[in-house]
Amino acid sequence: MPWKTNYTISDEISLSDKDIVWPDDNRCCFNVVVDLSLASGPEGLVASDLATTDAVFAMGDGLAGILDVLASHKLVATFAVPAAMVKIYPKSVETVLKQGHEVAAEGLFHEDVSQLSLEDERARVKAATAILSEFIGSRPAGWYDLPRRNDKFAVGSISPSTTKLLAEEGYTYMGNCPADDAPHYSVTDFATASAILAMPYYYHFDDQFFMLYPRQGSGLENPDILFRNWRAEFVAQYKRGRFFNMTLHPGNAGWCNRLYLLDEFLGFVRSQPNVWNAVSRDCANYWISKYPPATHLKLEPSIWKDYPGSLS
Amino acid sequence: MDPSARERLDGLVSRGIAYQQRYEFIDDLKWPDGARIAVNFTADFDAMLYRRILNEPALQLAKGEFGGRVGIWRLIELFDSHDIKATIFTPGRICELYPQALRHAVASGHELADHMWEHRVPREAALEADHLQKALTALSAIRGKPISGSRSGHTNSLLKQSGIFYNSHAPAGHLPYYIADRAGKNTLLNLPFHYAIDDAQFYTFGWLGSDSPAQRMSDPDRVLEMWWAAFLQQYNEGGYLNVCLHPYVSGRALRIEMLDQFIRRMKKLPGVWFSTCEETATYCLKHFPARRLTS
Repeated sequence: MPWKTNYTISDEISLSDKDIVWPDDNRCCFNVVVDLSLASGPEGLVASDLATTDAVFAMGDGLAGILDVLASHKLVATFAVPAAMVKIYPKSVETVLKQGHEVAAEGLFHEDVSQLSLEDERARVKAATAILSEFIGSRPAGWYDLPRRNDKFAVGSISPSTTKLLAEEGYTYMGNCPADDAPHYSVTDFATASAILAMPYYYHFDDQFFMLYPRQGSGLENPDILFRNWRAEFVAQYKRGRFFNMTLHPGNAGWCNRLYLLDEFLGFVRSQPNVWNAVSRDCANYWISKYPPATHLKLEPSIWKDYPGSLS
Repeated sequence: MDPSARERLDGLVSRGIAYQQRYEFIDDLKWPDGARIAVNFTADFDAMLYRRILNEPALQLAKGEFGGRVGIWRLIELFDSHDIKATIFTPGRICELYPQALRHAVASGHELADHMWEHRVPREAALEADHLQKALTALSAIRGKPISGSRSGHTNSLLKQSGIFYNSHAPAGHLPYYIADRAGKNTLLNLPFHYAIDDAQFYTFGWLGSDSPAQRMSDPDRVLEMWWAAFLQQYNEGGYLNVCLHPYVSGRALRIEMLDQFIRRMKKLPGVWFSTCEETATYCLKHFPARRLTS
């Protein structure tokens, strides 16, 4: 950078389009994330999130619809799963795994970890990892904390310690970061230039902000806007040879009128040659081996000066 | 009329008339070489700084960081590909965060202008002066020459004393106009920009502290048609269009494509003058100086 603690998470300039190559001469990486959480607010899953018709739909018809559409286009996705969900809906998560999708962690309850103390956050990360590891049969490679519908901001959450804790727990990547539209490094310790890979997330490609957002009864049903954003971003990123990510919630995109547009969009993507459909884990592993932080994270010392009456 | 109503009416008249007198519009504005419209592309390069000022959480700052790592470079590349010189309104602090991008912008011929030291104007006069001075010192060091313009709520007197000769702040009219301070002095040229021609209104979540029910996130097709209507209306009027972009918003790949289409459409028409704010302001001040607000 010039690095600035508490302002920046990565280096000064992104990797340029011409420097990005994908395996097997593919020209764009296509990444689908399905948020398998029912949490509505920053506290994460609470009992009232589960005892609703929306929850039943999301984990029933909604999830089945998403899985069918993905399968019909021969696409694999990364499912961000709060550890509690494998206890509440074990059969659903089992189905996801059986169909070849990746299961990544989304906290113990999909809680906003920035509201926890360091000790509590560490304990939650360990507990979530243990539950998911046992269920999957191997450790999850990735960790998400995607935005919840009632969050104040549409970016998801990390605490000042999250990325460091994830690195300690052996995670390969952090799943949702809006600082780039290709994988990039999130610095865990500037002094030693340590970092964890961050996968791109952007809310304009996340179904929940276009489907009766912020709540039912608002009449703000805009799947057409989402569809045009998906399509325009995919076309632009394909042209650049870069990366595309979309985020789905079975309770949103799984409903019929939206599922129709999802199917149409995925069909369009599939009609384009040389698209690498990768789950986040595979994309992250490829990126780390091709563009390791030792050579591709270009950190420069801070040149920030503190003055009285100015930000520090 | 009862006395209290009389007092109220007199108060309204004096306040309303005094306020109007602070403005002077240019009735006979004509652009150089018979151009039918002046178009200024402007970028407010606050990156994560404004989100830091509002104490927003870490990933909100990372959303802004996209503007510095990715977005600004794409905007410069887009403008360069069309041989358009843009004006980049930059908080002084950004010189300590993204100096390489700013040097690249200057090398490509784009104008660096002031957007406050830290994206805020302090209330205390001495600190306000301190902030503006810091911003201008940092920006002019990278630009290699003095800064001419600002997009800020800094006081006119301070801006004028610092060598700033235009602001691009608010839309009291479609065309560039003059505005004096409350005392009727320290007149500055203002290049109007309107929130309807500002990418953040349509594309960024939580803009200006807005809450969730206020979000109306849009798509590039829709915004392109909106902005095209704005352009055509002003083109037909012999007018002016200031397009306000944010690198962290419009630097996203889908929106760079939309801006490319927007520029291509404009270029198909004759008489479109793509200029920097500095060029526009210099032209207005030279050929259409204020006649009434001369102090």
